[in-house]
Amino acid sequence: MSARRALKAVLVDLNGTLHIEDSAVPGAQEALRRLRSAPVTVRFVTNTTKESKRDLLERLTGLGFDIAEHEIFTSLTAARNLLEQQQVRPLLLVDDKALPDFTGIGTDNPNAVVVGLAPEHFHYEMMNRAFRLILEGAPLIAIHKARYFKKKDGLCLGPGPFVTGLEYATDTKATVVGKPEKTFFLEALRGTGCAPEEAVMIGDDCRDDVGGAQQAGMRGILVRTGKYRPADEDKINPAPYLTCENFPEAVEHILKQML
Amino acid sequence: MAGGGWARAVRGLLLDVSGVLYDSGADGGVPIAGSAEAVRRIKASGLKLQLCTNETQATRADFVRKLRNLGFDVSVAEVTAPAPAACHLLRERGLRPHLLVHHDLVPEFAEIDKTNPNCVVLGDAAENFTYANLNEAFRLLIGMEKPVLISLGQGRYYKETDGLKLDVGAYMKALEYACDVQAEVVGKPAKSFFESALAELGVPAEQAIMIGDDIVSDVGGAQRCGMRALQVRTGKYRPSDENHPLVKPDAYVNNLAEAVDIILQQQQL
Repeated sequence: MSARRALKAVLVDLNGTLHIEDSAVPGAQEALRRLRSAPVTVRFVTNTTKESKRDLLERLTGLGFDIAEHEIFTSLTAARNLLEQQQVRPLLLVDDKALPDFTGIGTDNPNAVVVGLAPEHFHYEMMNRAFRLILEGAPLIAIHKARYFKKKDGLCLGPGPFVTGLEYATDTKATVVGKPEKTFFLEALRGTGCAPEEAVMIGDDCRDDVGGAQQAGMRGILVRTGKYRPADEDKINPAPYLTCENFPEAVEHILKQML
Repeated sequence: MAGGGWARAVRGLLLDVSGVLYDSGADGGVPIAGSAEAVRRIKASGLKLQLCTNETQATRADFVRKLRNLGFDVSVAEVTAPAPAACHLLRERGLRPHLLVHHDLVPEFAEIDKTNPNCVVLGDAAENFTYANLNEAFRLLIGMEKPVLISLGQGRYYKETDGLKLDVGAYMKALEYACDVQAEVVGKPAKSFFESALAELGVPAEQAIMIGDDIVSDVGGAQRCGMRALQVRTGKYRPSDENHPLVKPDAYVNNLAEAVDIILQQQQL
């Protein structure tokens, strides 16, 4: 333990870790307050394709969490950062509710394509527009590549299949910006001045949260809430730094053993 | 392009249609300069001719009618297309398809039992590639114990008069990824498809030349069957095709007319 660098940043997943849908994980608000008393920078990270930071902030403060907007980092933020870095103008195939996170980015005469979960845009005409741009050299940025998701009336295609189709047609590879991509975690840390070795990620998705974070050089704490299923911790290599019951327990561990 | 060595000892030609004879489009399409005359010259010369196409936006009868209206002297017997081959496969294997195809292709499947589908057949559905239609196909596939996805071709894109458009291959890959399944391709570049075309042409592979605009599906696919194959610079051709990492056409020609010039010249030697 003494060989490790001091812990300076804690990344926390949202849905499944801090709250489950519209209810906070019991004791999580207090645990967050205790975490803030420590000398660490906290960031709240999530894959989303249609919730703007404002929406997330509203939900979290409504649940009693003390959070500032700048502490939230989403896959949409990651996409935006990439667009700014590359200085490109995107064709945004994203949900209307996600547009606020792209305010200030020029979209006239696009030379990049961003694909999120946007069924209303995945029709033939729009797909052809995106295809032609990419064929002409526009970078393809995928918020994430989920194959499908569950809705009340059944399974629905995610953005992944459409991104794959565009990759095949143009013989290019998309840059995927969401978890579990390494760049997601590195980008989340970028404003904190902390290196991955000085950070820990707390999440309920063993592969996307913990596995992804550890691949990026961070330590990962898997919590047994949300989408966790027994023996998930055996599915990644290396195994999670720690598996514990929930976010409050993870915070206790950090305060007692990692500072 | 030294000499025309590749043009020796040929008795029959397989021609791709879209991008070689004409460019398709909402307006019915536009013939490529010199192609109608080239087809006439081929027939007059005694060389055999077969159209080998992945076109799945119409029945063969309607397709031929369209080509004839554009000035091409061709008949239904001279067309090898994926839908009939797919029907054969479906019947052979007791498969009942859910069709995600262009609505003008549906009549080709009129005799096929489509109740209680146990497979999905994907064609170049164009505007029918809506999220809702794809989702419906996806839900059927993911619900099958043994998902069977049959794709009429696997092209990446094709050229229409108003620009390049996504072909069935892109949507095949999308469903493959979504369902973690591998599609079976009926049509170019599948070997069995070229072999049926050659059988209909009535000429062995070594004496046939395939002429196409898709370097992977047309040219590469034909060469793998033992034929010679030419890449035209019309249709979906792009300059990057001149240096394809995997496929080396027997020759690049500007268009069908030029290919026929060279072939007929060789015949006279």
